[in-house]
Amino acid sequence: MKYRRALRYALSILALLVLAPAVVLVALHMPAFGGQLLAYGATVNAHVPSMRQATNVVTAIIFDVRGADTLGEEFIFAAAITGLAVLLRGGRGEDASREPIHADGRQLPARSEAVALLIRWMLPATIAFSLYVMAHGQLTPGGGFQAGAMLASALLLLFLGDGYRSWRQVVPPVVMQLLEALGAVGCVAVGLLPMLLGAGFLENVLPQGQPKSLTGGGLIPLFNVAVGMAITGGFVNALVEFLEETRVPKEGDS
Amino acid sequence: MLLRLLPWLAAAWLMAIGIYGMITSRHYVHLIGCLSVVQSGTYVVLLAIGFVWHAGPPIFYDHPPGTPAVDPVMQALVLTDVVVGAAVSALLLALALQLHKRRQTLDPEELEPVP
Repeated sequence: MKYRRALRYALSILALLVLAPAVVLVALHMPAFGGQLLAYGATVNAHVPSMRQATNVVTAIIFDVRGADTLGEEFIFAAAITGLAVLLRGGRGEDASREPIHADGRQLPARSEAVALLIRWMLPATIAFSLYVMAHGQLTPGGGFQAGAMLASALLLLFLGDGYRSWRQVVPPVVMQLLEALGAVGCVAVGLLPMLLGAGFLENVLPQGQPKSLTGGGLIPLFNVAVGMAITGGFVNALVEFLEETRVPKEGDS
Repeated sequence: MLLRLLPWLAAAWLMAIGIYGMITSRHYVHLIGCLSVVQSGTYVVLLAIGFVWHAGPPIFYDHPPGTPAVDPVMQALVLTDVVVGAAVSALLLALALQLHKRRQTLDPEELEPVP
């Protein structure tokens, strides 16, 4: 026990000794804080708004200028969620249960009507806001990643307000698995679409639309929605897999 | 001068306490939390690189393109960082759960090598 801790500290100090000179070297060559824009960012800021009719340059970078990176990022996310499901199901089995957790000799607390009412007010508003953030990704702060995380949290509100059983009935995991898969397929399809028109992978050849309109940006809104679907499905699936860990499936549950 | 150093100091502090926590951690869930703290340090570094004094956000909706704006590339990198971080934390927590099921401990120093 003791030698293991000593070994751990020794290895950590060794790793820090190797990394520290690199960190110091980089730190000494950092650009001054708040000085000039770096060349890449300055170029993007100067040209992308007029080229793409997208006012949110950050979204334009994610879904257009560096679209291939985002495709990779989306698949890192999908792979992590798949790995999570494989790990947890590997220990638990494929059975899933719609029934809330039950411990012997312990009453389920009744659901508070105030909470349920509040959630029924907040849920539609949260879903509407997340769809708004998704649709306006290329115009104002937001985009598919943010909207997907918000939509997944909005669906989790249902669990808070109406309990596990209703949550599982309204948001069936199989639908969310399909949503995640369709979103991932959609991201690739958005990349392949320009190739059908004779352009390169993910090349933004669609009509760019009007500035400050929902259709502005060509491929950007399509990619945005595909990523939003994948992220929503992925987060809800992760939540379902973790929640399944807490319950014991009975015979005949689905 | 201090204001110019503050972002770097904040990032260095976040990374240092995160790495210290990871090295001395006695619980894997705590270790995953420390990893998230280190990652927060990288957000501060990236945003500080992109910052420009007296510049607006790189979103030209209510101010015309051409007005000074901070670096959008760094902000896009931070978004990537956040998404990958969330996914990796979820995966690591699943690993910790499986570990606890099989070995009944989450202390890195109590784990025996698999025979």
